[in-house]
Amino acid sequence: MKTVLNEQNRRNFVAQVESMLHDKLSKCYQCGKCSAGCPVNFEMDYTPNQIIKMTELGMEDTVLNSKTIWLCVSCNTCSTRCPKGFEVTGIMDVLREIAERKGITSKTEKEVQMFHEVFLENVKSHGRIFELELVGKYKLKTKHLFRDMFLAPKMLEKGKLKMHGETISNLNQIAKIFKDFE
Amino acid sequence: MSRIGVFVCWCGSNIASTVDVEKVREEAAKIPGVVSAVDYKYMCSDPGQNSLRNVIKEKNLTGVVLAACSPHMHENTFRKAAVKEGLNPYFVEIANIREQVSWVHEDKERATAKAVDLMKMMVEKVKRDKPIEDVRVPLNKKALVIGGGISGIQAALDIANGGVEVILVEKEPSIGGRMIQLDETFPTLDCSSCIMTPKMVEVNQHPNIKLYTYSEIEDVSGYIGNFKVKIKKKARSVVEKDCTGCGECWNACPMHKNVKSEFNINLSERTAIYVPFPQAVPLVPVLDRSVCLHFKKGGKCQKCFDACGPKCIDFSMQDEIIEETVGAIVAATGYDLMETSMYGEYGYGKYKDVVSGLQFERLLSASGPTEGVIKRPSDGKTPQTIVFVQCVGSRDPEKGVPYCSKVCCMYTAKHAKLFAHKVHGSQSYVFYIDIRATSKGYEEFVRGTMEQDGAVYLRGRVSKIYEDNGKLIVKGADTLSGNQVEIAADMVVLATGVIPKKGSDKLAQMLGISYDKYGFLTESHPKLRPAESSTAGIFLAGMAQGPRDIPESVVSGSAAASKILGLFSKSEYEVEGTISSVNEATCVACFYCQRVCAYNAISRKEIKDRNGSVVKVVANVNPGLCTGCGACVNACFSKSIDVKGFMDDQIYAEIKSLAI
Repeated sequence: MKTVLNEQNRRNFVAQVESMLHDKLSKCYQCGKCSAGCPVNFEMDYTPNQIIKMTELGMEDTVLNSKTIWLCVSCNTCSTRCPKGFEVTGIMDVLREIAERKGITSKTEKEVQMFHEVFLENVKSHGRIFELELVGKYKLKTKHLFRDMFLAPKMLEKGKLKMHGETISNLNQIAKIFKDFE
Repeated sequence: MSRIGVFVCWCGSNIASTVDVEKVREEAAKIPGVVSAVDYKYMCSDPGQNSLRNVIKEKNLTGVVLAACSPHMHENTFRKAAVKEGLNPYFVEIANIREQVSWVHEDKERATAKAVDLMKMMVEKVKRDKPIEDVRVPLNKKALVIGGGISGIQAALDIANGGVEVILVEKEPSIGGRMIQLDETFPTLDCSSCIMTPKMVEVNQHPNIKLYTYSEIEDVSGYIGNFKVKIKKKARSVVEKDCTGCGECWNACPMHKNVKSEFNINLSERTAIYVPFPQAVPLVPVLDRSVCLHFKKGGKCQKCFDACGPKCIDFSMQDEIIEETVGAIVAATGYDLMETSMYGEYGYGKYKDVVSGLQFERLLSASGPTEGVIKRPSDGKTPQTIVFVQCVGSRDPEKGVPYCSKVCCMYTAKHAKLFAHKVHGSQSYVFYIDIRATSKGYEEFVRGTMEQDGAVYLRGRVSKIYEDNGKLIVKGADTLSGNQVEIAADMVVLATGVIPKKGSDKLAQMLGISYDKYGFLTESHPKLRPAESSTAGIFLAGMAQGPRDIPESVVSGSAAASKILGLFSKSEYEVEGTISSVNEATCVACFYCQRVCAYNAISRKEIKDRNGSVVKVVANVNPGLCTGCGACVNACFSKSIDVKGFMDDQIYAEIKSLAI
């Protein structure tokens, strides 16, 4: 892939990411330990260290449209093991956020993106997760109504799916967090 | 009749577990001429050495054979013990039955047989040993340092401070070398001229240092302790002792702005009569006759002569040959930067704003052509974006050299850092293959350039640079993200690789020291004798040996100096007596030996009769140069050369002993 570096755009993008990340991209050694240990690396189109480098080079379109940022499960293996203490998981969060704000829809990982949206809605309305509602809404949105259906009885048996959702007492606080963020 | 003592060492269980030492002793006792054969657990121990001495004394031995470990280990120990009993040290021979037998074999019976064989060979050898005296060479306690860069200066100062006279020869009009061309130095960013000029001045004022600038080595002959050196002092056209360095002459020179300055690497101009830089040592100008109007236009112009107050300009000055005799030499000839013309794709020479690392150094320097303000050569504008390309010439076996030039990673990081400090809001990009930052504080320095000074590092090489709309378009790769990258830059700096100074190979030939295929001078041993050349009395320092940075150059200069001071601390230089000797009666003067000698140790000798007419010409071995390698012995057609201690009859006797 050919990239023509535009100095001003690059600086703007790096500044945006770094201010949200509270970390410096130039810190990265490019040693690849994050990619070496990433449990979902095999599905990614770019390895985590490539995402960091491309962000530093200002390759905004490439990183925001990558599969990687949506496939990251935020397990934090990378950040925990990073020799420079770089926020590798954090950069995925930041890039997802920028993509979301820009209204970029992932072409390949729509469902992951939808899950994130449903998840946040759920938190917004209850202050915590109501799994049954989350599952329901996610299935309606993705139209995969019967996928993973057989997991439901097991989860019910183990008490992982509650029939009634709980709402926290002070929803205002949650609303404030969302408002501050926006 | 020989009276030989054989001593078989057990070396604890090292030898005894694999070799039947008693059997070896018994076999030794059977050999005619062996009057004593003993075995002992540790021959090198004090009791072991004492028993050796006692037997020599009691049995009045004429030779000793130790069947023990490698001669590298204890030959000296046993020789010293033998000398105390009045035996010539070369009457002690070692049969190595540890490294060559017990440590490398398993079958005890066969190992024992081999040990017996080795012991027998040495007994036959020692029977034919003749006393050898070590050679003593007188020392002229004066040193020559070739090259007035940082390592040469360091060597000269250290030797001079040790109380020894030094002659320092520099080819350029001023000492200072490459280091004085640098701006600030990694990783501490101290200003190069601030730390260099005091040393240069010290050299000039030191009572023990005789300084020849604008001078070259014309010829070197002789050997350790007694080198005869011819120094060509090129005609400066200025009388050094009268010149005050006032500058009237170069101000008056009409060749102003016409000649490219070598010191500023073509980035500025100089006059025909000039000092390379204001802090030059000595501050005496040189008249460049190849461009001077006086010499080109038949003596019409003499403006400098008219302007000169003390009238020290001498158009008729001639090259002068000075002869000196020195005891030791330091070769510190330094380095050049590679030409980059083979990289047409980088456009060096075609685009003015593609510069070399050393040129950028001059652009950064306060004493440089832009007085430290970074301006690009094409239009004098301050660049905002600079692309640095590392490994230009280095690590390129196809077009350049395969080795790493070692300093480029660091000086590029320094350039990017200084650029960020001098031009706020600027941006630098560095294309690299690997970052090599291994000395103290270096890694942190490079990380600082990336993390604090915002240089963007791209792992990959640049493929092409071309001009487009006033910008230099750099096409490179970032292999870490797998992208082709294109950057529009205002200026490009090529981190050109390091090669040996032009002509250092010729000097090496003159000195009779070895150099590698690139022309770097080679050490006697790459690890354990890094300051010594292959020739005794000649030492090496600085980049002449290979790429290295300032601290390493200083260390190597000091190392060479301490070697010389150590050498000069004795009244004579002692050489092992096992060197070649010529049988003058049979020598046919074919001088094939001279051609194979790697140490220039063989010369022609004329044998004269009492009337002074030449009777015969023969080969002659210089004991100061001969290392006893034996190449001449093999080359001699008339079997007239032998290495003492390894004479033909001894070798034949050793071989014959195996047939008995």
